[in-house]
Amino acid sequence: MIEFQHVSFRYPEGGEGGLHDVSLTIPDGQCVLLCGRSGCGKTTLTRLVNGLIPQFFPGELTGRVLLDGEDLAALPMYRISEKVGSVFQNPRTQFFNVDSDSEIAFGLESQARPAAELRARVDRTAEELGIRGLLGRSLFALSGGEKQRIAFASVYAMEPEVCLLDEPSSNLDAQAIEGLRRHLALLRSQGKTILVAEHRLSYLMDTVDRVLYLEDGRVAGDYSREAFLVLSPERRRAMGLRAADLMAERPSAPPSPAAAPRLELRDVSLSYGKRTVLQGLSLQAAPGEIIALAGPNGAGKTTLSRFLCGLHRESGGQLLWEGRVQSPRERRGRAGLVMQDVNYQLFAESVAAECVFGLRRPDTALAEEALRELGLWALRDRHPNTLSGGQKQRLAAAAAMVQGRELLVFDEPTSGLDYDSMTRLAELLRRLSVRGKVIFLVTHDFEFVCRTCGRALWLSGGGLRRDLPVTAETLPALREIFHVR
Amino acid sequence: MSRFDPRAKLFLLLLTVLCAALAPDLRFQFALVGLIGGFSALCGRWRYALRGILAYGLLCAFTFWCAGSLSGTWRTMFVAFLGLVHKVYACGMLAGTVIATTRVNEFLSAMARLRCPRKLTIPLAVMLRYLPTIREDWRFIRDAMRLRDVSPSLWGFLRAPAMTVNCLYVPLLTAASRAADELSIAAVTRGIENPKPRTCLVTIRMTAADWVVMALFAAFFAIELLWTGGIL
Repeated sequence: MIEFQHVSFRYPEGGEGGLHDVSLTIPDGQCVLLCGRSGCGKTTLTRLVNGLIPQFFPGELTGRVLLDGEDLAALPMYRISEKVGSVFQNPRTQFFNVDSDSEIAFGLESQARPAAELRARVDRTAEELGIRGLLGRSLFALSGGEKQRIAFASVYAMEPEVCLLDEPSSNLDAQAIEGLRRHLALLRSQGKTILVAEHRLSYLMDTVDRVLYLEDGRVAGDYSREAFLVLSPERRRAMGLRAADLMAERPSAPPSPAAAPRLELRDVSLSYGKRTVLQGLSLQAAPGEIIALAGPNGAGKTTLSRFLCGLHRESGGQLLWEGRVQSPRERRGRAGLVMQDVNYQLFAESVAAECVFGLRRPDTALAEEALRELGLWALRDRHPNTLSGGQKQRLAAAAAMVQGRELLVFDEPTSGLDYDSMTRLAELLRRLSVRGKVIFLVTHDFEFVCRTCGRALWLSGGGLRRDLPVTAETLPALREIFHVR
Repeated sequence: MSRFDPRAKLFLLLLTVLCAALAPDLRFQFALVGLIGGFSALCGRWRYALRGILAYGLLCAFTFWCAGSLSGTWRTMFVAFLGLVHKVYACGMLAGTVIATTRVNEFLSAMARLRCPRKLTIPLAVMLRYLPTIREDWRFIRDAMRLRDVSPSLWGFLRAPAMTVNCLYVPLLTAASRAADELSIAAVTRGIENPKPRTCLVTIRMTAADWVVMALFAAFFAIELLWTGGIL
């Protein structure tokens, strides 16, 4: 049993994410979803349970958090880790070994279990989680979803009573999210206590028993699963929450504008060395179109977006812009990319400087216009690193606007965004579309696609398999593409 | 391909630092690089070994050319700089192999057996694990630079050094500080601080191969000392 007794917490730098007088009890075997806007304190709550607060993140803490009657603040981290397992958002930085077997054994090795037991437990874990195929592999060769499975397995192997997951689906595709859902159901059937902090709610709706809604560091709602599911969509949106039931989503984006195509791909083939990733790709796109790019892992979504931006050379075919064949260099001059991890593309020391970074003759009037339009003008003197995830994304888009880029690619732009940020992002895309930009979104976020995209492309098996308008008529096909059931 | 014990690798690193620092001339440095090349090849990294030895050969040739053909300030500058490179080359080459072939759990378990304090080994383990992620980071940063018309190449660096360096270190530092935090969190929540002596899925023990390479490096060091002392 986990008990919070009048817990308040403030991070030393102040700001968001603190807790105010939280009292609650989570009985053994309950599966609890923690939700709320970014900065509402849900991550902080999980950190209090796994001991990272106050031991790793110091701050002002009052009140007590008890696990089975023991005060967690008084236990060393390694003792807590025997009872509480934690899975985090970024699969890339939560493994410690280079091979999957050692990684699964990592926590057990810390507990000094004998070598024979280690091997047996690693094998049993892989068996129970259905990941035998991932044993004996180099972790650097695994996809994000597979890495996340190993991270989960390494926690599972320690057999903790409580399992914490902090936005575990942020970097996963639809299939990997389905795998995660199955793993959670398994934990639940074993009677473990589960706490999941998430923005994406729909995949959890079959598994959770209880939903805690946090607002400004307080528990503002405590629902049973049934009570939560009957909240009206309007109420849920006002609470800043993403869709609970994707089957209820309907396409609502304005239709693609009728205009002459500006971009054309003619029989494009893309490969890495000798391995062909995509073949015979032909399509046209008009200014103002917002196009979703979907497909399973390894179907070539990233390769195609790098090709569109001039970062990957074609092995056959052509890309034409307004009827003229474009070299990679010309494509680079025309395209802007907003990466999934936008931190890699912010270089300057202030928001205003970022917008005109690297330009020889920057158009400051255009920069101001772009910043105002994207709601960043008030932040112009801030360091880009101090912005939120959504703000950083908008900054990268603003920089592409100032550079006069006409083809924009967004890679998984909604990962880790709450409902409000997602709405702002949709608004940003609409503005860019009105300006006549051709926009591609690499995404598997069905709710977001319904809201913003006029068209969806599905890549699979080395080619473009589907090219659909996003409308009520194509809904069944869209659901299939985005694994919505 | 042999797997060497992390303790043996540490011993080799220590000896290499001493050998490189005390090497009386380039012949010794070259022999040392050759020795490390042999060790790398034994670890299954023969391509790395060949490239390392070849690059060092070119470096030596360049050094001789500088010493013979240049004069004045240029000579002093180059020779002083190259002197420094020669001192660290061998260590860097061995470190490359050690980092690439040592698993973090082997390292931690070996350090626990050597009774190293955890305050020392845990940060080292985080560092060991962080290094390979730099390569992944670099791919993203390179794309971002190219989209901003900054060329991520030697030529781009020569044309606009300040800009290129800025584009590299800003995102790299951001990524590094975040990765270090997240890796540490992943480690402490899985009980890395547990005071019990760690066990290891892969059994580590010193084998004959470990003793042989250690003896070889030690012999090299002894010969170097005797040579420097004028006994040989």
